[in-house]
Amino acid sequence: MAAVESVAMGDGADAAGEGRQRLELAALSAPAVLFTVGMIAFPLVYTVWLSFQSFSSTGKQSFVGLANYAKLISDNEFWHGLWVTLALYVLSLALQLVLGVWLALVLFHARRLSGVVRTLFISPFMMPPVVAGMMWLVILDPSLGAANYILTSFGLPPSDWLASPTWVIPTVALIDSWQWTPYVALIVLGGLQSLPPSVYEAAQIDGASAFKTFQRITLPLLLPTIVTATILRSVDLLRFFDIIYITTQGGPGNASNTLNIYGFRVGFEFFNIGYSSALMLTLTAIVFGAVLAFNRLRGAVAW
Amino acid sequence: MTENPISDGLLRRLNTLQLVLAGIIIMAPMAWMVLSSLKPSFEVTAYPPTLVFSPTAENYSQLIKTTPFFSYAVNSLIVTIGSAGLGLLFGIPAAFAVSWTRISWPAILTLAARMAPGTLFLLPWYVMFRQVGLIGSYTALILSHAVITLPIVIWVLLPSFDNIPRSVFEAAQVDGCSITRILWRIALPLVGSGVAVAAILAFVFSWNYFLFALVLSNGDTKTLIAAAFNFVGEGSTNWGVLMAAATLIALPPLVLATLVQRWLVAGLTLGAVKG
Amino acid sequence: MTARAALARFAFSFLAAGVAATAAHAADFDWKKFQGKTVTFLANNNPVSQALLAHKADFEKLTGITLKVDSYQEQQMRQRLVTVMNAHSDEVDVFMSLPSREGQQFAAAGWYADVSAMTKNEVAPDYDFAGLSQALLKAATYDGKLTSLPMNIEGPILYYRTDVFKKCGVGEPKTIADVEAAAKKIKACDNVLTPFVSRGLKPAVAYTFSNMLHNIGGSYIVDGKSALCSAKDKEALDTYSRLLRDYGPPGVVNYSFYQISALYRSGRAAMAFESSNELRTVMEGGERLKDTALIPFPAGEAGQVPTAIGWGMAVSAYSKQPDAAWYFVQWATSPAVQKLMAVQGIAPPRSSVASDPDYRKWIEEEPVRKQWQAALDVLAAKGSSEVGYPIVANPESREFIGQAVQDLILKQKSVDQACADADRALDALISQK
Repeated sequence: MAAVESVAMGDGADAAGEGRQRLELAALSAPAVLFTVGMIAFPLVYTVWLSFQSFSSTGKQSFVGLANYAKLISDNEFWHGLWVTLALYVLSLALQLVLGVWLALVLFHARRLSGVVRTLFISPFMMPPVVAGMMWLVILDPSLGAANYILTSFGLPPSDWLASPTWVIPTVALIDSWQWTPYVALIVLGGLQSLPPSVYEAAQIDGASAFKTFQRITLPLLLPTIVTATILRSVDLLRFFDIIYITTQGGPGNASNTLNIYGFRVGFEFFNIGYSSALMLTLTAIVFGAVLAFNRLRGAVAW
Repeated sequence: MTENPISDGLLRRLNTLQLVLAGIIIMAPMAWMVLSSLKPSFEVTAYPPTLVFSPTAENYSQLIKTTPFFSYAVNSLIVTIGSAGLGLLFGIPAAFAVSWTRISWPAILTLAARMAPGTLFLLPWYVMFRQVGLIGSYTALILSHAVITLPIVIWVLLPSFDNIPRSVFEAAQVDGCSITRILWRIALPLVGSGVAVAAILAFVFSWNYFLFALVLSNGDTKTLIAAAFNFVGEGSTNWGVLMAAATLIALPPLVLATLVQRWLVAGLTLGAVKG
Repeated sequence: MTARAALARFAFSFLAAGVAATAAHAADFDWKKFQGKTVTFLANNNPVSQALLAHKADFEKLTGITLKVDSYQEQQMRQRLVTVMNAHSDEVDVFMSLPSREGQQFAAAGWYADVSAMTKNEVAPDYDFAGLSQALLKAATYDGKLTSLPMNIEGPILYYRTDVFKKCGVGEPKTIADVEAAAKKIKACDNVLTPFVSRGLKPAVAYTFSNMLHNIGGSYIVDGKSALCSAKDKEALDTYSRLLRDYGPPGVVNYSFYQISALYRSGRAAMAFESSNELRTVMEGGERLKDTALIPFPAGEAGQVPTAIGWGMAVSAYSKQPDAAWYFVQWATSPAVQKLMAVQGIAPPRSSVASDPDYRKWIEEEPVRKQWQAALDVLAAKGSSEVGYPIVANPESREFIGQAVQDLILKQKSVDQACADADRALDALISQK
């Protein structure tokens, strides 16, 4: 979306007309704005209130002020969850951006995209994440699944996949990348298609190699698109939930216990709604901060 | 390149090869899911996995016999269509206003709900909808899912509206058209494919979302995706049925995707250009 | 065994206690009293509720009450229950609950209605409250309030393959050491089979591990402190994790009943230490019917102290119609219905049903069923309902037990280190009041 900028509207419109126009425009956005505020204001306020309450073990509710947030700082599992969240985030994002750009280039250079190819590339992210999780759970089962069979038939050692504390994060990142790389690729493809052909011609005349052309010209011009993709994926990846909820529930041990999963389990498995609320609000703040930061970055790389 | 040592044809073939490779990686897991759903129960967990088997519909028939699969599917349809419709109803004018004024905060505000973990909303919404007696109603489910569909509609449509040349509107304004009239009579017909893409994506993301239905629905209004887990619970360990359920649930979004792939790809790539 | 642990552990005797107030009001009892009402039941989608709900229409016909069933897989059911209860909603009238897991916590939070009075005043003549397992009733009583009524009795038992044992020259294991020796022999004689499988998934471990701990003679709490680093507890941690690490399937740390049943049913495990409730699943398809034997988990230094628990039916404290709700609970836990459930493989929490001729006939049909019932008799007689720490935060305590076991399976810590880490976290939980 274009950055906020004031544009002089309708030349020659008188003051009264402009006022009416502004009112009309406000009325057009009003339903969406009011609806959103109506749906999210109460949950946020209520969750803030809950985060000041203690529900721990006795089940009795009491006001504890900032105690839940203080607990956060000394809670090893919180810091671990933060680490897991960031590790999974960086790994997944890197995979999806690199593979997404590669895939976009391949698609861009294909003479034409047939319907089959297009369908194929939009299918993964059309699929419910819950279903994708179930599907991979069956495929990656260490003793029953097809994945290990394929590995062993190529003479490779079998993996424990989701059951290995070392491999669980890379495996979850792979599952998510399987689902979302095509999405990133399509966004980047859009960026590629919008690049003016003249820059390539210039590069060709200069006799630059294909790789150099990509590195010096295409990539910098693609940056705004890549940042857009980054923002879209960041919002989901930092709140990573669905696939872990279905496959490992934070395990083995706590190796895939992301902040979102941890907050969920504290609230709904251990019944400590107060602390869970504090965890979820902290996570919300992190996501919000990341979006703001990337939005700034997008301004910086715009051309 | 000083002198191009690789011919164009070879380059093209290399590119096709990569395309095929990517296609296989994307395709294989889904194919495996469908294959597993067609296997007799004892073969699903056979090791080494079998590729050749006599396909059977037993998993599907068991699924449909033992669960109210179709009534869940109808619930999902009602909620999905309702929330996609609501998203379009609120989202189209909002996207138009944002595109016109270049004031982007309303669009960003609607995204705010996506920045909080979904579980954060469960208890508050339950409390909220209970106050007005809407727990278990389609209304509550539609409203909650509209929180997901609204930002999709707005963000997909924004670039489409942005692409319409200003002069089109200015001419209409000179003729004394109100902005609302310009939107419905002039702008909307021009962004038809954008609306289609927005509607499809809203439908798919609403269909795929499971968390809210878990607490806001009841036994009668439960959506398919929220019920998915329960098709296979303790005491009915059957991977074949699980894969059959997975296949059937994924089917509507995939069919839709196939039908509108051309627009969808165009819409998504357009979104990026303006992104 | 310490005094505290001895307290937590009790015998599951089926001796009738002297509760006999039922006759007094029996004459005025009318099943149709709440005709036209609607009762909502939040069920865990497991074999117990499936067997019960197969007879849903009978209840509706008998009482004229409409039964609305909301059935979820365990984790999601809990998620829904927590939401409904925290909102003090009357949406749910009756729900299924595991007293051994969440009983203390839910009771403290005031989520259960006290049904003690109803069991005395509002019962059908043939209800036979006294015939329900007194031990299970006691396990569901907090501060003198009865919070739920038992639907079944279950516990982990050892399923093993007689054909494999024969082939490898192994006899029925009598002790935990025998189990390990058998696993070793099987590993040597058949390199395709998984010799031993049990729960490795973090929150699920406590169910089976507690059985081994008690057999070995360990206890969770000694003098108010977590005792995982005591010699017996360390032995239990070490043995349990060693069995799974050396003889379990790859990826066992993600295994719960789901994967265990699938593995055993498909004939790829020689021994499975899993819930008695999984009998039906394991026997599905009939492939394991003729080559499986069932026994309670073999003895340790403290003999056999099996884990025996049951799902309970509770009336919500926020129900607007606890009386109508109670009618459903008492129908569901009545001798007649529990008999119907028993022949579907749900072990009854009543001795009268366990000795009923029809049920006996069903048992006699297959040798496996006979062994299953024999194992359940041992569970009923000697079982402990202690799964995880006997504290309010029981669900969370299971996390740390599971963590310690996983740390050992994955060789991430030494036994001393794993138990010390767990003890530290568990002491904090215990002191939380």
